[in-house]
Amino acid sequence: MWSRVRGWGGAAGGSCRLAARLLAGPASGREVAGVARLQGRPHSKIQKLFSTSSLLSTEKDESTASKDSTTEAATKSREGTAETPKQKLLDLIGNMKVEVSYRKKLQELKTREIKNQATNKLEGPDSEGGMLQKTTEDTQRSRPLNPELVAAASAVASSLPLDKKQTESELIAQLRRHEETTDKQKKGGTINIRNVISEMAVKRQSPAQRGVRLSSRISLELDEDGQRIKLGRFSPQSSDSRRSLKVGRRLNIFAKASTETKDALKTVSSPTIWDLEFAKEVAAVTAQPPRNGFEEMIQWTKEGILWEFPIDNEAGMEDDAEFHEHIFLEKHLEDFPKQGPIRHFMELVICGLSKNPYLSVKQKIEHIEWFQKYFEEKKEYLQEI
Amino acid sequence: MAAAALGWALRAARQVLPSPCTRQVRGYYVDWRMLRDVKRRKLAYEYADERLRINAIRKNTILPKELQEVADKEIADLPRDSCPTRIRNRCILTSRPRGVKRRWRLSRIVFRHFADHAQMSGIQRAMW
Repeated sequence: MWSRVRGWGGAAGGSCRLAARLLAGPASGREVAGVARLQGRPHSKIQKLFSTSSLLSTEKDESTASKDSTTEAATKSREGTAETPKQKLLDLIGNMKVEVSYRKKLQELKTREIKNQATNKLEGPDSEGGMLQKTTEDTQRSRPLNPELVAAASAVASSLPLDKKQTESELIAQLRRHEETTDKQKKGGTINIRNVISEMAVKRQSPAQRGVRLSSRISLELDEDGQRIKLGRFSPQSSDSRRSLKVGRRLNIFAKASTETKDALKTVSSPTIWDLEFAKEVAAVTAQPPRNGFEEMIQWTKEGILWEFPIDNEAGMEDDAEFHEHIFLEKHLEDFPKQGPIRHFMELVICGLSKNPYLSVKQKIEHIEWFQKYFEEKKEYLQEI
Repeated sequence: MAAAALGWALRAARQVLPSPCTRQVRGYYVDWRMLRDVKRRKLAYEYADERLRINAIRKNTILPKELQEVADKEIADLPRDSCPTRIRNRCILTSRPRGVKRRWRLSRIVFRHFADHAQMSGIQRAMW
């Protein structure tokens, strides 16, 4: 298996055929080397973890499943192991789809199981698949406790040697709590640790990625050209990028970082003295003295000491106004009285401004406004006269 | 014009430059009189517009005299150093108030010194 993977890695030259090879490689490996070995290894650990609880679940299917979260995971793993031939096909299609399709398969299996067992109805909403798709199971779940569940609880209570009524009431209380949590989960309020576990499970069960990762670690062979095979590097990146960070459902583990914007605002508003000093230091270090006259001239031009050649007569002057805005300034005289010495005076001012090529339109308007303000202030004084 | 030119020539008397330049930078003005001259130039630049406008009202035959008297008082209230007539074109290297050639902003002694050492571009001893 190793040799095969290596050979495949060595032969590949172009990255364009990476994807095809990735899909083809593990598939071929699987077909030839034997399914059980490849599939068995990643599954064995999970099976070891969940082996005892799976036994439990087979025994106390009816009521204790509500108490143990592991049993639900165990059922999932059982469904997972049953699916491995299907999963192979899914891997072939694409890892991106595995997650979704795996959940679809889960859903289908669950619908089948629900028909067989009453308690699987509980697990249906608990699994993350319920969040994605609303199948007929959802409609079967009712807000008040299922009479079948209650019957199951009473049956368990009767089987146990302890006080029947007490156990029955406790079990029913547990069921009720469970229903509440399922409702919460449906709304998406509580953090679903099971989601995390299931997510992890799905990833571990993909042998294609594992094979690729292992091959990447070991294959440091050189190509015929003497360049290191980059497939080993590319493949884990591509496999990770296929399952990139933003793809998939949010697990809602961390609260959204809304404080980031606040911090950014804070830092912007208060640049400390140390920040300024640091900035100055950095500038001093990076600003090397000019090596020759050309660099000196460049520096001077940047600083504004040297003009830019060919000389631009309008350098620094950014007056985008048309000529009529410079000359016809009577429209700014609307606030002044129509008659009288002030009007006469202002008309002279405007005549002078219209002939002034050195001021911008803004400056001229400011000039006129200053006079307006000044005469406003002196109005009371003027009326006394 | 002179104010801006002097301000450009004498950079950063009391401030640190925002951009570090590797040229020689004077840390101080030549003497206190030069410093006072620099202050007067700065103020004159600040109040230049206001002074112009108030003077336009004062030097007027159209507006009533009362208004002009008020303007007189106003301009007298402005800081004394804002007056451009108080600026003296001193030599930028020695701060000499007299014998300063406007084109080079240097006193005659410094000018002669540099010209004799061929450090003034285009200056030659006259001989005819």
